[in-house]
Amino acid sequence: MTQNSHTAARTDSWLPSLPLIGIKLLELRRRSALMVVTLVFTVGVPVIFYGIRAIYHLIDPAHNGTAGATNAFATAGSLMAEFGFIVAVLLGATAGTDDLTDGMFRQLVITGRSRLALYLARIPAGLAILLSLSAIGYTLAALVTGFFNGPNTPGTFAPSVRALTGAGLWLELYLVIGFTLGLGLGVLMAQRTVPVVLLIVFEIIITPALAGHAIPHFVNVERLVVGVAMDQLQPAVLAGGVHIGPGGGGGLMIPPMPTWAMTAVIAIWIIGWLGIGAWKMATRDA
Amino acid sequence: MNSDREDEHRPSAGRNNPRETGDWAVAVSGLTKRFGERVALDNVDLLVPRGSAFGYLGPNGAGKTTLIRALLGLIKSDSGTMSLLDLPVPAERGRALARVGAIVDEPRFHGHLSGRENLKTLAVARGGDADKQIDPVLERTQLTQRAEDKVSSYSMGMRQRLGLAGCLLGDPELLILDEPMNGLDPAGIHEMREMIRGLVDEGRTVMLSSHLLDEVERTCDLVAVVDRGKVIRQGPISELIGGSGDAVEVQCSDPSAAARALGQSTIASRIVVSEEGLTITLAPGSPREQADEVTRRLVEAGIGVHGLRLVHASLEDWFLSVTSRLGEDQ
Repeated sequence: MTQNSHTAARTDSWLPSLPLIGIKLLELRRRSALMVVTLVFTVGVPVIFYGIRAIYHLIDPAHNGTAGATNAFATAGSLMAEFGFIVAVLLGATAGTDDLTDGMFRQLVITGRSRLALYLARIPAGLAILLSLSAIGYTLAALVTGFFNGPNTPGTFAPSVRALTGAGLWLELYLVIGFTLGLGLGVLMAQRTVPVVLLIVFEIIITPALAGHAIPHFVNVERLVVGVAMDQLQPAVLAGGVHIGPGGGGGLMIPPMPTWAMTAVIAIWIIGWLGIGAWKMATRDA
Repeated sequence: MNSDREDEHRPSAGRNNPRETGDWAVAVSGLTKRFGERVALDNVDLLVPRGSAFGYLGPNGAGKTTLIRALLGLIKSDSGTMSLLDLPVPAERGRALARVGAIVDEPRFHGHLSGRENLKTLAVARGGDADKQIDPVLERTQLTQRAEDKVSSYSMGMRQRLGLAGCLLGDPELLILDEPMNGLDPAGIHEMREMIRGLVDEGRTVMLSSHLLDEVERTCDLVAVVDRGKVIRQGPISELIGGSGDAVEVQCSDPSAAARALGQSTIASRIVVSEEGLTITLAPGSPREQADEVTRRLVEAGIGVHGLRLVHASLEDWFLSVTSRLGEDQ
C-alpha cells in the first residue's frame, strides 16, 4: 500500500486529460449499433444518394443528369444536414448519459475525479466521431460534385472550392449544435430517448415552420431560435432557394439578421446547453 | 446524550488508540440528511479506527447507503462534518477519494465493455499509476480468465469481484463496501470474507455495510448499528454482545426444582422453564465458570442433569435486541 498524493493532484483538475477523453471515445466506439447508425447517417446518406443518381444516369443519361450535377448538391447537403442532425442529437445524448444509465457515473465520481472533467471529456470524444465521419461523407459529396459535375444546366455553375469549404464548415457547425443540444438535454433529463425525440421534433418540424412563417410581433423571438439563425447562415450553395441571409440562406418571411446577432444566437445556444449539462452533472446526486 | 450512551458509541481503546492520535479512517459528527420530510440521517456520529474491519449494520432502509453516499460526496448532507483519512470532506474530497476505494449499492459497469476495459475506465479516471494495477487486481479477484469478456455476460458474483477490483486500483488505504456479500453464493461469500480479512491484514481499513449479521460477525472487528437514520450502538463486537448475555440450556429431571435452586443465586439474570428443561440467561461474567456453577448447584440440589449446553450470544441476538428496543422507545 502506497500513498497516492500524485493521483490526488491529477484528479482535482477540471480539465479532462487526453486519456480520459480517449476512454470516453472508447465507450462510444464500442457501442456498435450507435456506430452503425452514425456511419449510415453521415457517410451512407451521400453514398446512397449519389449512388442512386449514378444508376439513374447510367440507365437513362438523356433524362437524368450526372451524379454530381450542381443542382443535386443542395439536395445532398440538405439530406446530410437533416440526417446528420438526428445522429448528432443521438450521439450527444448517448455521450451525455451512457455512464448515468449504465450506473458507471457513480463509480467514476467515487474515484475523486472532478465531475466537470468527467463531463467535459465527452465533448471532444463525441465530436471526434461525429465530425470525422460527417467530414468523410461531405468530402465524398464534394468530390462527386467536383469530378462528376457534367455539363451544367444553363444559369448554374460548378461550386468553387471556397463555396464547398464554406458549406462543409456550415454543415459541421450544424452538427455541433445538434450534438450539444443532445448532450445538454440528455444530461438534464438523465435519459436518451425523450431528448432525442424532442429535439428531432424541434428541428425537423418546429424550426422549419418558424423559419418559413413570420409571426406578427414575434419575429425577433423567432430569430432567437438557433435553427432560424442557422438557416440564414446557410451558404447559398446549400440553400438552393431565396438567398437573403448574410450567409446566403434564409427565407422571405423572416427579415435578415445581422451577422453579430446570428453569431450571438448560435454561440448562446451552444454555450448555454453545454453549461446546463455541466451544471446538472456537477450537482446531481450520484 | 448521556455519558453512558456516549461511551457505548465510541470504539474502545486499542493498542494504538485512534481517539488519542486522532487517526480515524472515517470520522462523522452530527451528520444529518433529509429527503423532503423524511430524515435519512439523523445527527449521526461515527468513528472508524484505521486498520480495522468495521461493520455498519442496519435493517433495510435504515440509512446505511445514504451515509456512504454522503461520505463519498455522491449526495450533499444538510449539516454535520465528515472526514476520510483525516481529510475533511467535501472540502478535500478529491485528495481523500484518491486514497479510498468504494462500492455503493451493487457494482454496475458498462455492459458493452469488457471487464478489463471497465477497469481501464476507472483507472484513467483515477489517474496516476492506477492503470498499472489492472492486471494485479484482476489476478487478485480471480477474474483474469474472463477479463476480455463483456461485462454483460458476467454473473452477479463476478460483478461484485470486478467492483472490488475497481476499488483496489488506487491501492486504497480505506475501502467502503456497501453490501459486498449481496448476490454471492456460499463459496463466493467465503472468498469475499477471506479477501476482506486479507485487505485488513495488509493494514487497510475496510468499512462494510450489511444486513447479513453472521457474515459481519465473522468478518469484522467493530460494528455500528444504525436504525431509522440514527447510530444507536457502536464498538467492538466482543464488547457489544458480551453484555447481552450468554445462556445455558439444561435438560433435567425436574425443571421447576432446578429453577428454584438457581433462582436464589446471582448466576442467572433470567430463567425460562419448559417441559424438557430450562434456559438460563447468564449474568455478566465468565460464561464457562458460570456454567460450571450451574452444574454444581443442580447436582447439589439432587436434580438429574441429562444435558447441558452453553449457548454464546450472537451478533444477531444482540442486533435484534437493540433494534427492537429502539422500536419500543418510539
